[in-house]
Amino acid sequence: MANASTDTIAGKTRAGLSREEALTQYHTLELPSPSEEHWRFTDISGFDPDAYAVAEAAEVARPDSMLDLDTAGTAFAGEGGIEIVSAPDGVTFEPLQDHELLGSLVGVSDKLSAQNAALWRNGLLVRVPKGVELDKPLYARVSNSASGGALFWRLLVIAEELSRITVIEEYASDSPALAGYTNAAVELFVGAAAKLEYVSIQNLSTETWHFASHRARVDRDAELDWVAGGFGSRKGKVWIQNDLVGSGATSRVTGAYFADGSQHLDYDTFQRHDARNTTSDFAFKGALRDTARAVWRGMIRVEPDAQRTNAYQENRNLLLSKRAGADSIPGLEIMANDVRCTHGATNSPVDRDELFYCMSRGLTRGEAERLIVRGFFQDILDRIEFPPVRAAVAQALEARIPKA
Amino acid sequence: MAVLEIKNLTVALEDGTEIVRGVDLEVATGEVHAVMGPNGSGKSTLAYALMGHPGYEITDGSILLDGTDLVELGADERAQRGLFLAFQYPHAVPGVTVANFLRQSVNALRKARNGGEDDQIPVPEFRRALIEAMDSLKVPKEMMGRYLNEGFSGGEKKRVEILQMAMLRPRIAVLDETDSGLDIDALKVVAQGVRSLVGPEMGALVITHYQRILNYVSPEFVHVFVDGRIVVSGGPELADKLEAEGYEAFAPVAAGGGSP
Repeated sequence: MANASTDTIAGKTRAGLSREEALTQYHTLELPSPSEEHWRFTDISGFDPDAYAVAEAAEVARPDSMLDLDTAGTAFAGEGGIEIVSAPDGVTFEPLQDHELLGSLVGVSDKLSAQNAALWRNGLLVRVPKGVELDKPLYARVSNSASGGALFWRLLVIAEELSRITVIEEYASDSPALAGYTNAAVELFVGAAAKLEYVSIQNLSTETWHFASHRARVDRDAELDWVAGGFGSRKGKVWIQNDLVGSGATSRVTGAYFADGSQHLDYDTFQRHDARNTTSDFAFKGALRDTARAVWRGMIRVEPDAQRTNAYQENRNLLLSKRAGADSIPGLEIMANDVRCTHGATNSPVDRDELFYCMSRGLTRGEAERLIVRGFFQDILDRIEFPPVRAAVAQALEARIPKA
Repeated sequence: MAVLEIKNLTVALEDGTEIVRGVDLEVATGEVHAVMGPNGSGKSTLAYALMGHPGYEITDGSILLDGTDLVELGADERAQRGLFLAFQYPHAVPGVTVANFLRQSVNALRKARNGGEDDQIPVPEFRRALIEAMDSLKVPKEMMGRYLNEGFSGGEKKRVEILQMAMLRPRIAVLDETDSGLDIDALKVVAQGVRSLVGPEMGALVITHYQRILNYVSPEFVHVFVDGRIVVSGGPELADKLEAEGYEAFAPVAAGGGSP
């Protein structure tokens, strides 16, 4: 069965299911298979979600962070719960309970999202009232620590009109060889003329299956600036959707990833323009080594009323070994006539002549490769405005570049 | 004493086609040698093979630099031993600034010459040297923050090649068609830059199609290169003869009557 390529999270979402109903859906639905368009390049038939225990882990682990942050609020979450370490005044930063907006952006669209809706325990609610600005970021570290355990996580962010905040989410594992499963659902509401900077960095163990759906709704004149970093995990899929629902809304999503060994990363992105004068700019770059693979799917959909839309999508992969590979599937679906949409995708090995040029100046092969890889990511790093995040992403990339 | 000794050098493409067919050439420090040849004669192949481009196979002969045979060495090791190539078509290195690239290169050479131990140049010292070199080659300062060769004009690329040479201080510099793409003012600056570096520490091999650059770089020796071989060597007067008579006069000697 081939779905329409735009039939991502939006098309099949059913919000407002009870946990019991979601559980029924979970048991009824099959795991997505490569016969479905969105899963064509990501075969998860080796994954059995039931094999991972919904753990009763008592402790919330706190593995090392990639980030060096001075925060306005900090939370640690794991299989066993969520701990709010600090919270700013005047802003809701607390464990997520039932909420009227919960599930309205990320509902039940497949077996895995049904499982999250049925079984999630720990989540974070961030609500920033109208006009409130925070200088420092709000930070949540989500860590799996139970071997063979499943971690279900939800984040709900409501940035009300004219507010300005930064929310940083970091996924990590308590030990590098931990076998686990994480399943996340993130819903972001960016109110009129608000600005939300959202950072989601994933550095899970390479034995962790990772599935996540992130979706934002961006209102009139609001600005969403998003950074996605993918360094860990074994295999899975990350959905990223932006709905630009108010005129003048803009979103920018910057993605950087690096995979090696037998890692398999999948970013499935959707830029949906519902309103006039909206702008979206998605740029993803990745480097792949050994037999690692990356899948990137991009869809820009411009609804009939979304005239004067400006949309951009880009995916570039640098292949650092012959057996590494990437699939890039850009897409446009445009139903308005006064729009500007551009996209580009490339997958290429390190250029032999570029390598020779660098080596002719005395750089060893390793040094030359490092320089080229760093240079490849430079424009992506330049897009990251928040210095500690830029530094952390640069360092994470650096750490993965082959040593001289 | 000759620093670079090329002996009976034979170079083939990956498909086996022989392009350089037995070249003998010696270049000492303090000397400028010009290799002049028509398009398609194999001049650039010679330059790439000297530097160790993986797409060219040295099928016979040797390349000695200060007595060490370079043939089995990679481009990095050749550079570390003091060989430099100014490229005809310098490659862009996106995301890497001229200054950063040069600092990394300088440090790579210093490390190699320090027995493999890091010996990083202090940043202020590096910046002083870079600014001095940019001034003398009339390279605008803003170039140091631009990504290497990305969006550079032909002339900018060539000047930055010579800037790299000035910063890396090679024993022998091979300049492959550095004059192409340069206007006369830029050509003078570049030639002057080359000439000023030639001395007890450096010799140069200038590969060119035209006589023009030779008016400014004043080679001591001129070699006419046709069909993969040096067909005649002489002094600067040979360049004048070439200019007057063209390569035609030399072609039959080299081609042996069977060249396409």
